[in-house]
Amino acid sequence: MPDAGRGLLDRPSALPRECLAPLADLVVALADNKHALGLRYAEWCSSGPTIEAGVAATGMAQDELGHARVLYGLLEELPDAPRRSEHEWSAADARTIAFVETPFGSWPRLIVANVTLDRALAAVLETACDSRYLPLRARARKIIEEERYHAIHGQSWLDALGAEGPDVRREMEAALAAVWPDTVCWFGPDRGGVLACLVDAGVLDAAGDAVRTRFLAQLTPALDAAGLRAPSRAPLPWGRWDEHARRLRRG
Amino acid sequence: MQTIGDEPVYEVFARRAKGEPLRHVGSVAAPGDALARVYARRIYDEESWLEMYVVPRGAMLAVDDVRTEAVDAHA
Repeated sequence: MPDAGRGLLDRPSALPRECLAPLADLVVALADNKHALGLRYAEWCSSGPTIEAGVAATGMAQDELGHARVLYGLLEELPDAPRRSEHEWSAADARTIAFVETPFGSWPRLIVANVTLDRALAAVLETACDSRYLPLRARARKIIEEERYHAIHGQSWLDALGAEGPDVRREMEAALAAVWPDTVCWFGPDRGGVLACLVDAGVLDAAGDAVRTRFLAQLTPALDAAGLRAPSRAPLPWGRWDEHARRLRRG
Repeated sequence: MQTIGDEPVYEVFARRAKGEPLRHVGSVAAPGDALARVYARRIYDEESWLEMYVVPRGAMLAVDDVRTEAVDAHA
């Protein structure tokens, strides 16, 4: 837990030196994944299953691209952080997980991204809502407010699609299997790996297993209610986890 | 079973400012209350509404029908 007695940090120079690189890496990966997710949602603006669904996808796309923009703004003041902007975004050097690097191809796959990666990124930002580092705290609170509607959207569509029949459920289970390892590893190993120092400094209130447990405690019952089987709880592939890029190494 | 594209309709009402009447601003089709609220918020976002409500169209009672029923009951 952040210790209020230690005071608030209003500028990067107030952060412990060892926090700078892990914080920059986390912000880049959060923002790059949000940017890619926004582009993927936007591909459904005019082709959702209903007009209303298309409008909702458009709104979520605008939210995600906006979140990426405000998070990139954090990098400008962090020393030695990479510079990013939504105008010069390049998929080639983006630190994105594989699931959002190609079009979803179907609405059920979009909903799987909505209930997994979208929620996982939100779960990480929730750990910054009481951050001692004020520039992050202000941005995280604003983002989390908008994310409430993404959660309702994902949950409602998960239930609706789960009731569509075994073919749709099988497609969703295949998508879950594809997005699962990156998503569940995203919180970091054990106490958070490189994120642990951000917890110690009060920049985040938790990382690693604590956030993963919180995330799965929400997702697993939601999948059950929709008649979907969560991928097996086999040991997570930490040997392939790239802490710098926050994704699994491929190949 | 309800199919996608054949969802119930919700009427959307909103109030722009304190003291102003609740106005009908449109409608959305959604499979349930939660998604109806998400859709209404997204679609009718042209103003900063003070408050907004969705009402299942089936919950709206036509006043003409009520009068007919009352007249019939006393006939």
